[in-house]
Amino acid sequence: MTSMILYHGEPNGPSLAVLAALAESGVTAECRAIDLLRGERHILPGVTEGTARDMGVEGEGPVLVIANEDGGGEAMTESVFIAQFLDECGANTLQPKDAYAHWQMLMWCRRVTERCAPAAAFLGCKATAHAALAAMDDSAFAALSSHIVSEDLRTRWDMIRDGEFTEAQVNDSVRHVTGAVAMVEEQLADGREWLMGDVTIADFETFAWLNGMPALLPEVFAGKDRTAAWMDRVRARPSVQSALAKASKPAPEKSWAPGPEINRWG
Amino acid sequence: MADVTLYHWEPNANSGKPMLALMEKGVPFDSHYIDMLNFDQHKPEYLAINPQGTIPAMTHRGPWGERMLVESTAIMEYVNEQFDGPALMPADARARWRIRWWMKFMDQWLAPSFSMFGWKYFVGPNSLATHGREKIEEQISRIPLPERQVAWRKAVFGLFSDEEMAESSRRIEHGIKMLEAELGKREWLASDEYSLADVNGFNLAYAMPLSQPHLANDDLTPNIMRWLRAIYRRPATQACWKLGRTRMASRVEILEQDYIPPRDESEGVTSGVR
Repeated sequence: MTSMILYHGEPNGPSLAVLAALAESGVTAECRAIDLLRGERHILPGVTEGTARDMGVEGEGPVLVIANEDGGGEAMTESVFIAQFLDECGANTLQPKDAYAHWQMLMWCRRVTERCAPAAAFLGCKATAHAALAAMDDSAFAALSSHIVSEDLRTRWDMIRDGEFTEAQVNDSVRHVTGAVAMVEEQLADGREWLMGDVTIADFETFAWLNGMPALLPEVFAGKDRTAAWMDRVRARPSVQSALAKASKPAPEKSWAPGPEINRWG
Repeated sequence: MADVTLYHWEPNANSGKPMLALMEKGVPFDSHYIDMLNFDQHKPEYLAINPQGTIPAMTHRGPWGERMLVESTAIMEYVNEQFDGPALMPADARARWRIRWWMKFMDQWLAPSFSMFGWKYFVGPNSLATHGREKIEEQISRIPLPERQVAWRKAVFGLFSDEEMAESSRRIEHGIKMLEAELGKREWLASDEYSLADVNGFNLAYAMPLSQPHLANDDLTPNIMRWLRAIYRRPATQACWKLGRTRMASRVEILEQDYIPPRDESEGVTSGVR
């Protein structure tokens, strides 16, 4: 197997999803923690093919660097796709084998990454990342920002630092997180343990984006007993426990960095 | 009557993806044309099939009853996994990752910018001229998903700000450069084998030499042009684009030309197909 290095942030959001999938897959990869909010993702050593890192839709997610034969490295991004890759290289247990069930899982993950993830990252960054970035002096922030290739991702960093969180965007984000929780609650209504029946990437991806939300939006989770019990089950899995144990400080669910953009079409 | 029915508009963008994937796989299907500009997708008979009112949608009948599938890229993955026929995803896991990455990048980052231009200069004005504002407003109010209502109003009435158009323009220019660089690395997009990424990318890019003549042409983007012509020559592509009914689909004929020189940006706008 080619050598792989997984650069990950604090175990929350997409970094948490991929760390959990790595543990489930049994694949060997060296895990290196980086500080996403210091822009360290943009200055990784040994990346010679950086398109996916530079232009990924997910924003500041984990990066899996695969060694090339020529000594360089290709940066892989997008948590769902990294999780699929690790699963397919390893135990191959996290995706349904039936084509229709696989489609259902992919559709579920799309709803989470397109609607819930931008909203959760927006609210999380408002709650924690804004203060950290605002406290940076201008020259340090400018140096960080100069390494970010994607213009629209750089704009998201600027807006978070400047505290540009409009009421409309906040309300919209709360609506999307509420929708995701409702979707989970409904999916579990037939008494199933995991979202797709068996444990899949959908459980880790969904849990990872929602794990920081109860503290920010307790009202959204009120009375959602099935969701709460499912989150406890996901959290209790050894793969998630080992991922959460990689936290460098308490409460990793409060660690956020600029995420996917909010849909430009409204 | 085939087991598979595909509800689609023109072989273009999202509708064209599952159409071409089914044809590449050799899967027989009943083609059900939905006239998007006549708002067929919001009529009760279609909402009975796909309550979200989005196109394309596919039904597949079998021992399980009837399945209804939506979202063009996800439908393509289903088509590839469910049916026999040539594999449209390679065996190599890393190539599969790259294909998925490019499809998401095109679906979420690049294609919305292309469609903003398409609606502003072509589809929106044509739709307004044909149906009138009042009828369109009434049709939009029947769309089930609120965010789709917002998107449709923006699209049909051209309510894009100058900033939004400038951002879309920037993304189109940057995206074309990325595609050109990527296609310089391998024969096909993201992989050494013809795959779903090529099916997806062709639907996004086939008309670029017409709509973006200053950015996509044989002088500036030879790899893109080689790739578009190679896909155009495939029998499945030829059969697929024959299902088009409007001049939107017939734009594909530009790829008959052996050499397409750079032209001014304004020719993309005035040709009415941008």
